[in-house]
Amino acid sequence: MNRLIIIAIVSLSVTTTFAQGPPIFTDTPILLGLDGGGVRTFGRFIAKENATIYVQPVALPYNFGSKFQVGTVVKYINKNPDGLASQSGFGDVEAFAKLQLFKKDGKAKTFRVIAKLNQVFPTGKTDVNPTIGNDSWQSQLGLVSGYVTLKYGVYAEIAYNVTSNGLPDNLIYNVAFVYPLLPQKYPPNQINLNIGLNGNYLTDVSSNSLLASTGIQWIAGKRLLFETGVQIPLVEEVPDDQQTNFIYTLGTRILIF
Amino acid sequence: MKHILKTTVMSITILFITLIVTTDTINAQSATEKTYVKIAVDGLSCPFCAYGLEKKLKKIGTANDVLIDLDQGEATFNVSKDQKPTEEQLQKIVKDAGFTPKEITFSETPFKTKKDE
Repeated sequence: MNRLIIIAIVSLSVTTTFAQGPPIFTDTPILLGLDGGGVRTFGRFIAKENATIYVQPVALPYNFGSKFQVGTVVKYINKNPDGLASQSGFGDVEAFAKLQLFKKDGKAKTFRVIAKLNQVFPTGKTDVNPTIGNDSWQSQLGLVSGYVTLKYGVYAEIAYNVTSNGLPDNLIYNVAFVYPLLPQKYPPNQINLNIGLNGNYLTDVSSNSLLASTGIQWIAGKRLLFETGVQIPLVEEVPDDQQTNFIYTLGTRILIF
Repeated sequence: MKHILKTTVMSITILFITLIVTTDTINAQSATEKTYVKIAVDGLSCPFCAYGLEKKLKKIGTANDVLIDLDQGEATFNVSKDQKPTEEQLQKIVKDAGFTPKEITFSETPFKTKKDE
């Protein structure tokens, strides 16, 4: 069961990266100009040595002007751990708010900073093993910044996650570098190289995990993106039974409208 | 019989020429009834950014041929003259899409785009 804590954290990270574009494992500060609302789905298949997980979140964002976005995320999760029966169902429901704090635009480049608040409601079922929900109220407050040009993008994210019901609070810190391998154009047909670091410091138990990540994205159309990536631990200050050798991710992002 | 055939061929030819001239005139009128708009936009740094802006611009009445050039940081489109938006309206659309509007140019003739070159 302990081994699944990391999986739960990975599942959580899926919803923190549901935004409209690159990078793969870090959030972006660019709030897409929606005509009010929209619907997006970002399916993700995650594999590690002791389990596979499929997560299909549907995000319903709503923009109030160009600087403030709220929304909700509902996830369908399937977990297949080795040695246990697979479990499926709707995971914890999340609500979020993003506020643009700073924006400096130039020709074909931008630097932005947003604050984000994410609230997890423990609605996912927990009477099965492995659990689909985390059985924990979680409130996450964070900052996301990015300098994005047509030639590259540099992103940074830091967030503090307050949890209930015995789960440790954690500090999430991510950085990413995105490099387009083909010239950017619109309509897009683009391939991006992603590299980054993804950290998670469990404050209550003073343990740190740091993953090196790399991945490739293919932006296949105006509303469609495929991505794959692998995360390998650099630092794992967790008990042996919670350690992992790799996390492989295969995903797609679709802007339904 | 020969006369009837000759008259028929001539009539069809005249009809055909009239049709071509009329179509050309209508097309010429349509072209002059359009206003071409070019907006310089700062902050366009990714394809999904462009998608957001394109969606907003397509909401303008008769907006047609919306093109976004990421390299140049420009959006171009045309609208019928009677629905020509004001600079203020265009600035608001770009800002609402999350970007910074710069120079806005209106023209009676199409702008050269990468597609033309």
